Amino acid sequence: MSRLLRVSALLSVLAWVAAAVVVLLPSGQAAATDAPSGDGLSLTKTLTRHWFDPDHGGAPESDSRTVTVSVDRHTNLQARERIHVSWTGAHPTGGRAANPLGGAGFDQEYPVLILECRGTPDQVTPRTCWTSSAAERTSKVSNSQAVWRSDAEADPADTGRVSGLSDDEIVTLPSYCDTTVSTQSFHITPFVAANGKFYDGCDSQGMPPEATGTDVDPPNEIAAFTDLNGTGSANVEVRTATENESLGCSSTVACTLEVIPIMGLSCASATDPFCNADPTYFAGQSYDGDGAAPALTPHFWWSASNWDNRFAIPLTFATPPSVCTLSAVGAPVPFYGSELLSQAALQWTPAYCLDKDRFNWQDNIQPDDAAFTNMTSGGGAVAAEVSVREPDDEGIAYAPTAVTGWGIAFDIDRPYNQGEQTSLKLNARLLAKLLTESYPGPSYGQQRPGLEHNPTTLLADPEFQQLNPGLSGQVATEAAATLLNLSISSGVVTQLTSYLAADPDAMSFIDGKPDPWGMVVNPAYKGLKLPVSTWPLLDTWYPSHTADTCLNQAAESQVPYLPRVASPVSSFRLIATAMLLNWPEVQQVSLDAGTNQCTTARTPVEGLGSRFMLGVVTLGDAQRYGLNLAALQAAPGHYVSPTNDAMASAIKIATTADQKAQKKAQKKAQKAQKKAGKKAAKAAVPLTPIAVDEKDLRASTTAYPGTMVVYTAAKTTGLPKRTAQEVAQFIRVSSTEGQVPGRGNGRLPGGYLPITKTGVTARLYAQAQAAAKVIAAQKAPTTPTPSSTPTPKAKPTGSASVAPPPATPPAAAPTPVATAAPSATTVTDAAPMVRTAAVTSGLGGGLLPVLIVVGLLCGAITLGGRVWLFLRGAR
Amino acid sequence: MAIASTTAALIALVCVWALLQMLVLGTLAQQRDQHLRYAEFRSELAQATAPTGELDYRGRPIAPGSPVALLSIPRLGLQQVVVDGTASGDLMAGPGHLRSTPMPGQAGVSVVMGRGSTYGAPFRRLATLSAGDRITVQNATGKVSYTVQDVRRAGDPIPPAPSGATAGRLTLVTAQGSGFIGAVRPGSAVYVDATTQQATPAGVVAAAVPSSEQVMGRDSGALPLLVLLLAVLAGLVLAVSVARRHVRAVLVWTCATPVAIALAWAVTDQVMRLLPNLM
Repeated sequence: MSRLLRVSALLSVLAWVAAAVVVLLPSGQAAATDAPSGDGLSLTKTLTRHWFDPDHGGAPESDSRTVTVSVDRHTNLQARERIHVSWTGAHPTGGRAANPLGGAGFDQEYPVLILECRGTPDQVTPRTCWTSSAAERTSKVSNSQAVWRSDAEADPADTGRVSGLSDDEIVTLPSYCDTTVSTQSFHITPFVAANGKFYDGCDSQGMPPEATGTDVDPPNEIAAFTDLNGTGSANVEVRTATENESLGCSSTVACTLEVIPIMGLSCASATDPFCNADPTYFAGQSYDGDGAAPALTPHFWWSASNWDNRFAIPLTFATPPSVCTLSAVGAPVPFYGSELLSQAALQWTPAYCLDKDRFNWQDNIQPDDAAFTNMTSGGGAVAAEVSVREPDDEGIAYAPTAVTGWGIAFDIDRPYNQGEQTSLKLNARLLAKLLTESYPGPSYGQQRPGLEHNPTTLLADPEFQQLNPGLSGQVATEAAATLLNLSISSGVVTQLTSYLAADPDAMSFIDGKPDPWGMVVNPAYKGLKLPVSTWPLLDTWYPSHTADTCLNQAAESQVPYLPRVASPVSSFRLIATAMLLNWPEVQQVSLDAGTNQCTTARTPVEGLGSRFMLGVVTLGDAQRYGLNLAALQAAPGHYVSPTNDAMASAIKIATTADQKAQKKAQKKAQKAQKKAGKKAAKAAVPLTPIAVDEKDLRASTTAYPGTMVVYTAAKTTGLPKRTAQEVAQFIRVSSTEGQVPGRGNGRLPGGYLPITKTGVTARLYAQAQAAAKVIAAQKAPTTPTPSSTPTPKAKPTGSASVAPPPATPPAAAPTPVATAAPSATTVTDAAPMVRTAAVTSGLGGGLLPVLIVVGLLCGAITLGGRVWLFLRGAR
Repeated sequence: MAIASTTAALIALVCVWALLQMLVLGTLAQQRDQHLRYAEFRSELAQATAPTGELDYRGRPIAPGSPVALLSIPRLGLQQVVVDGTASGDLMAGPGHLRSTPMPGQAGVSVVMGRGSTYGAPFRRLATLSAGDRITVQNATGKVSYTVQDVRRAGDPIPPAPSGATAGRLTLVTAQGSGFIGAVRPGSAVYVDATTQQATPAGVVAAAVPSSEQVMGRDSGALPLLVLLLAVLAGLVLAVSVARRHVRAVLVWTCATPVAIALAWAVTDQVMRLLPNLM
């Protein structure tokens, strides 16, 4: 008996442990992905389809499935934020589309359609759901094929020849709708815009202005596929009134994400061959043009059978950045600096400008060095946000404001349309290969002398294939040969190139040594000195005598080829938008069919299912837009992903190294003071940045190499009293309230490591408080800046650094047509404000004097010689 | 002793010739180049075919060394035709326009480089300019008047890029020495910034320029021609020594001297291309 008791006790304990694991596991996962937890939502529903199986003599059939749909976030959304939607239990998809966005995804069988609709879940009707083309709203076929008319669940009104509209609306339809043909059936789902305007939706003429198909902004409605095991996922980008005014989602207008797992229409009649048709495709098969069975496609998403199966995810939107320009109190107080802060600024700004005890904080983006000069020279910046120590910083205090960094985002689909690749490993040498334009690309670049034997793209590189098995077989495009980077000066570029500089393999590759597989660096970049603060575009080669008339024309104007493949852009926001829309910035010349002229244009959007592109992004942007980030090599053989733990580990290493350096400097100072007979000074918190040294991080197996700290730098003397108070207030608020993770106003978004009073970031916290005190006091600098060596500043590279600033950004990439994600920050004058570099030439300075001296000397020798000879001859 | 004396004499000859050409003969050549280009630019302006960017009116890239603007600095009594390209060879003809910047007079930051010591040294007194001085530029589309902001040397902050559709900055660059015989020690780059608010619209700009066209750039492309010319010079020496055995020296030298001078001139021009472009 007692034995039985003991066993049952053990069993109950085990059950409790199992339950605890089950309960705790999801939260553990959420922490691992660094998404602000607690914003997810999960819904479960049982969906059933009834039809008559033609293979069994029209016997009634039914298919019932319990589907669970989960999202990772749904409140306080920002413009273009991506929601990760995943589901289980759905019907496996057949006829997978190469591109599931918009109407292109409508010819699949049993996909999961996801639409953004205006209104709360109980307000939404198909009329307020957004689609980007008329074909997704209007069905027009011959009467016998109109499967929606035999939907068993449909309202009798929807089974008429012309349905979807009231009688009054049908009368006022424009002529292009042409509903009078009696042999054809019509179902029209009009769209009602946020301002109440009625769009009939039966033709592109009857669509709202934002519905431009794929021309301007790729569609955001998606028909994603379900795998054979019933699971699937999709990243859905939500648009606000800024991007889509007709849809009109905003902080005041709630919206809903409608997730409709397509089960197929339930059929009213056993004799309807179209409604009861078997699927054309096997589950998992790709679409090949055969035409899907209509009743199983998302074409009739509005039909009762499908519409009743929807999962409604309520969405709420955050206060838009424009709120501060519209309703803020007081004049804006401008801070200038690093774009690393922009996602935090998006959430922080309203917390300042809408609080009457605070001030109208304005965050502007400017290259670190320019922002710093702007601040020290009184050029308008009250404070600068920088990530490295700047030169000539006497009397400046740096307050740590955010711990974040950069990452390499990738949009890569596994070969043969097997879905999205979610993990990737990269090392410094692969980044060096991409940045130095050493992959010639799959087309004309292969003629570039010196690159003939290199792999054409990253995909073809054996080093990449070894690191990332299973990624070959995709069709490589030019975008796979490059890494979308920043064209202007930035602390991020300095840190990224320091990462390359700290890697012996990467540097020996750049210096001209082939990698173990025989790949060599682009000759234009050979021997490039790193780090740099602006990545130079050095290749000037262009293909000539090709079959392409436009390329020949470009060759006549000597337009370099590979820099157009690289096409760096002027802000991280543009890179994030390009990654979000799967739209490479690669520029190509091609013949415009309309004008018959050669034009330079961006390559088309990459279809979901066959993507391959990479870009340098900020961790904040990656988190906001749900971009996949690569794990970077730290210690040899160890690849670290940008998690909060990995950033904390990097900060720990950097602070430890910094403390050692400080101690050394202090000891020296104390010795000197002792010698001078003075009392040793009290150790104070240093107000200079800690150096995140890539050399130290490379020794670690857990630290993320892309970690950076953003500082608010401001003067400790000479600021007006009020301004000084405001800067100090910003530092205090941002280092306390601003470090609480969350999605609301004033909170810290994902992609940033919270700075806390204890733990690894304690030193940063203490420094922020000390800096706030010093800046608020505005007394003459009592703490002299320690003489420890400052962070290695980016040195300009050899020939790439002409002293005058470039008048145009190198290979000026045209701004994309797509309206980029708005941000609280404004991009200002991007010209790097640098100091004139010393360009000297010993040859130039010395040649003429040498010629004069040598000429005189030799002249004298000749003269002397002649005289001597003459004298000897005379004797 | 006789050999040493002869060697010294030859070295002295080479040095003196080089100095002569850089400082005296080069000036003559530069003045002639300017004269020709002035006429050419005048006629292009009259026909409205003067280039507004790196592509000419037919859409072809303009040849290096062709005239693109007329630069006047009344304070220095300077009027020069600006040529396209800033390689050492281009700057022998006059101040050159950095091809990766807009044309002088156009909106944006345009850079013009000029020699400071040799070949006419058009920019030798550039550093004596001071804030407020006027610089006028006649380009393909109009006459633009600039006001000098300051002289800028290594370490001075570069002013921010001009903002506005018609704002422009002209940066003149040359090399300069300091101290004893500073005029013939053009070792470090010096800049003069001038701004305008009435710039003409910018045209096509070259995406990148090779290092030979950067500040203090040297053009190693001159080497093949130089080798060829030296070979011809060696051939001349041989021919002279052979001829002297058969013909009277006066006759030989009468024939050979003009050829020798022409070759020496051409050789020095090629050597100049190997030297920093701003000296």
